[in-house]
Amino acid sequence: MWTWFYKLASPPYVYGAAAALTPWFLGLAAITMGYGLVAGLVFAPPDYQQGDAFRIIYVHAPSAWMSLFAYTSMAIAGGIALIWRIKMGHAVAAASAPIGASFTLLALFTGSLWGRPMWGTYWAWDPRLTSELILLFLYVGVMSLRSAFEDPARGDRAAALLGLVGLVNVPIIHYSVLWWNSLHQGATVAKLGKPSMPGSMLWPLLSMLLGFMLFYGAVLCVRLRGEVLNRERQAKWVREAIKS
Amino acid sequence: MNVGAFEAFTLVVRRELCLSFRRPDQLLQPLVFFLIVTTLFPLGLSLQLSLLRDMAPGVLWVAALLSSLLSLDSLFKSDADDGTLEQLALCGQGLTVIVVAKTIAHWLVTGAALVLVSPVVGTALGIPGSAFATMMLSLGVGTLTLSWLGAIGAGLTVGLRRGNVLLSLIVLPLAMPLLIFGAGATDRAVSGGSPAGALYFLAALCVFTCTLAPFAATMALRITLE
Amino acid sequence: MGAGGDQIVMGNGFWSMGGYARYVWPCFAFTCLVLAWNLWSANRYYVAARLRARRALAAALAAGEEQ
Repeated sequence: MWTWFYKLASPPYVYGAAAALTPWFLGLAAITMGYGLVAGLVFAPPDYQQGDAFRIIYVHAPSAWMSLFAYTSMAIAGGIALIWRIKMGHAVAAASAPIGASFTLLALFTGSLWGRPMWGTYWAWDPRLTSELILLFLYVGVMSLRSAFEDPARGDRAAALLGLVGLVNVPIIHYSVLWWNSLHQGATVAKLGKPSMPGSMLWPLLSMLLGFMLFYGAVLCVRLRGEVLNRERQAKWVREAIKS
Repeated sequence: MNVGAFEAFTLVVRRELCLSFRRPDQLLQPLVFFLIVTTLFPLGLSLQLSLLRDMAPGVLWVAALLSSLLSLDSLFKSDADDGTLEQLALCGQGLTVIVVAKTIAHWLVTGAALVLVSPVVGTALGIPGSAFATMMLSLGVGTLTLSWLGAIGAGLTVGLRRGNVLLSLIVLPLAMPLLIFGAGATDRAVSGGSPAGALYFLAALCVFTCTLAPFAATMALRITLE
Repeated sequence: MGAGGDQIVMGNGFWSMGGYARYVWPCFAFTCLVLAWNLWSANRYYVAARLRARRALAAALAAGEEQ
């Protein structure tokens, strides 16, 4: 019954599947992001409150979403690897971390640039931006812990455990920061989320979201192949695979 | 918990406390660090007591977090280096009991000691006496939670040569909710409001962490030591 | 970048972004940069891993021939 699962987790299968999927992910990402960019920058009308500055949402929201998505997939892949001792889970987790960290950085950068015209300052200790910053620290912790061990297998397992602990903490951190922000009503923070968005604004956003996910998939596949090669250097199938 | 496990627990706690009291300088170091850090803030700011009083809960809490973190590095290190930890793990009661005992002992010599010193520091920072109860309660619960988070971090970094900075890097982001609710409760008490909400959150975090962290810390030690 | 006031002027030109060009375009430029970095670094990682595996293979083959 579980044979498909083990086949899915076998290194040669992962390596081959990642290679086969990469062009599809990249192509579809280019199409959806291309549509999202053109429709979002050109065809979507300016927001009645924020004018054209709202167009930052087309890169800010997808990158913020992806930063959480990549963290979750990293932690879950690490957890699977830790519990069932599936080595490929560690490879997925290791491949996912730098991508997620870069998206977190992007979300912080675009968020603070968006904050400048909206709040009048680059950094307002907005709850979402603050949680995003802490998420970046979590990423840095997991990545440095993985590389701190001389034995890569040990580093993998330690990073997987830390990723799981962080995953449990992410909602706690988010809600505590929300509570903290409601306590300190210092800066009046403009509400960025729209209660209802017309389709001409929403469709490009959804398209960008899908595009970012596909892009993440493509980069993950390429990194994953590197991780698999690094972990399976001595295996016979690797020798066959890299001869060509 | 059967009698054997409880006996092992009390024995390890007593051993840890005995070791700590045999080296009083090391026992005092986190406390002195706590005092020094809280002294730095008034010197770095100005001597406006009103400004100081506004910042006092935050200053107190940041200093408590840092000084508690300072001693976490040695939580498992010396016992792991000389093999005591492996011997304790082999005593038949499982590693979790040892981890729980060592963490509780760590909290007793750092967290609980910080709670006892905090009224002195609080007075110096201008926190009114009416807020002391909240301050000490929140510090006690918060440092216990921090000891547990730190036990996970210390377990993960115990085999590393330069694990000290990494330990802070790992534990501090996880400890930010503690700072928010702990300083929040103290802040409310100082300004005369009701700190109940923040204290409840803090207690919930403590119960949650105390339930899950022993297993996570044990697993961390297994990963780094076995 | 066009010079636009803070008020929203339609037809002020695409590049001026209704006066918010200073904020909108750096965001999109940084996004392109991050996406490009991801592709570049992932590819570099893969190529380096492949090279290392090839070297390991060559070393193993050489050791095998000597025996």
